Amino acid sequence: MKFIDRLEHLDRRIIFLLVGIAVIIPMLIPLGLPVDISKPVKDVYDKVESLSEGSIVVVSADYDPGSEAELYPATEAFLEHCFRRNLRVFMLGLWPAGSNLGNLALEEIAPQYNKVYGLDYINVGYRPGGPVMLVSLGRNVADIVRTDYTGTPIDSFPLGRAVKSARDIDLVMTLSAGDPGVLHWIIYFNARYGTPIACATTAIMAPQQYPYISSGQLIGLLGGLKGAAEYETLVERKARAVAGMDSQSIVHVLLVIFIVIGNIILFSQRRKK
Amino acid sequence: MSWNVGVWIASLLTLAIYSFLYKDNPFYKVAENIFVGVSAGYWAVVLWFDFTWPNLFEPLINRGNVISLIPIIVGLMMFAPLIPKISWLVRIPLTFTMGVAMALVVTQRIQGEIFPQLQATFLPLAGVSPGVLISNLLIIIGVIATLIYFYFSKEHKGVLGFGAKLGIWFMMIAFGASFGYTVMARISLLIGRVYFLLHNWLGII
Repeated sequence: MKFIDRLEHLDRRIIFLLVGIAVIIPMLIPLGLPVDISKPVKDVYDKVESLSEGSIVVVSADYDPGSEAELYPATEAFLEHCFRRNLRVFMLGLWPAGSNLGNLALEEIAPQYNKVYGLDYINVGYRPGGPVMLVSLGRNVADIVRTDYTGTPIDSFPLGRAVKSARDIDLVMTLSAGDPGVLHWIIYFNARYGTPIACATTAIMAPQQYPYISSGQLIGLLGGLKGAAEYETLVERKARAVAGMDSQSIVHVLLVIFIVIGNIILFSQRRKK
Repeated sequence: MSWNVGVWIASLLTLAIYSFLYKDNPFYKVAENIFVGVSAGYWAVVLWFDFTWPNLFEPLINRGNVISLIPIIVGLMMFAPLIPKISWLVRIPLTFTMGVAMALVVTQRIQGEIFPQLQATFLPLAGVSPGVLISNLLIIIGVIATLIYFYFSKEHKGVLGFGAKLGIWFMMIAFGASFGYTVMARISLLIGRVYFLLHNWLGII
């Protein structure tokens, strides 16, 4: 019982330290734990594979630096897949910092596939307005987008001229960290114009998306860093997300142990009383 | 190790924030205040350059679009409560905003959420594999039981009581899944920061 009493009054900083160690060590010494592919992630991958060359994919970077750790790896992996399949990428952001983060990924991936700005991909920057903007965007893109993120008129780019309304868009991929985000794309874009929607969300948001997958309103889902790691595995681009999966698995085991110990302490306290 | 000044600033601020885990200290306070100040400045710039200028003043000044005067005047009415004599003017922009929002939200929520979600519960129980049958049954029973829990017009006794209890179980399982994903999300953020420190800053992985 003395040991349990000691655990009961354990300094919480020891737990922080153990979690820190559990994250750092697997990064320094990778274990190479397998990454299983879930159906929602495979569905997104299959949808991209099914699109013909030159199809237009809207990539909506609806996140900010607070969710960068989870959604940036998914952005890179998805863009890599699009460029490898010779799809055209039309990027925008419903969050102010989203399109800037998306642009970092574009600048990283596009040159690897010799893609040309304005022809193969374009970034029209932050688009405020949430639902009203999405409804207008689907009806007539020119009502909402006049310039790209640098202020250059959108008409001066071949891809800018090619996207006139929702009918020209073959797939929307929203990388979503909250509101506005995936729910707005489903309700105000998919429901009205029928454009297929796929999403990558933060892990916190992931469980809320399953009803929309079940109803067919969402094609698939990359849930958190795990979803990004699965997509990296599918596109054979093992990068930041896969590198973090060993740490994620070890910390989860550690947390399960903490929960078990916590419950043992709780039951022993109850017995005492 | 990185020689990029930005990476160094980000790394030191990250360490300053994490130092709070040991105990509150001046480094944490400095990082916290920088964050608050930078966020306020950032949003001020975003509100002007992404909202106000391109949607209101740029069309009016550069393109002579006088219609922009209407939202400018209606927008200024939001400040009417600052002058008690004309405070009633605030009702005009508020009513307009509520009207547009209601029209958009009600119609689209019904079309884009309620109907498709209802339709998704009309699932076949015959002519499907045993696995699909179990899955469909769970969805149907889960939806009905959860709805029963939120039915407050009759006391939860008998069949209704059993349904409500079942509803609680379904909700508890959903909360458990949400909690698991939340833990995963928080650890992912920590992994992101540690990766940044080890890869971008120290360059040891």
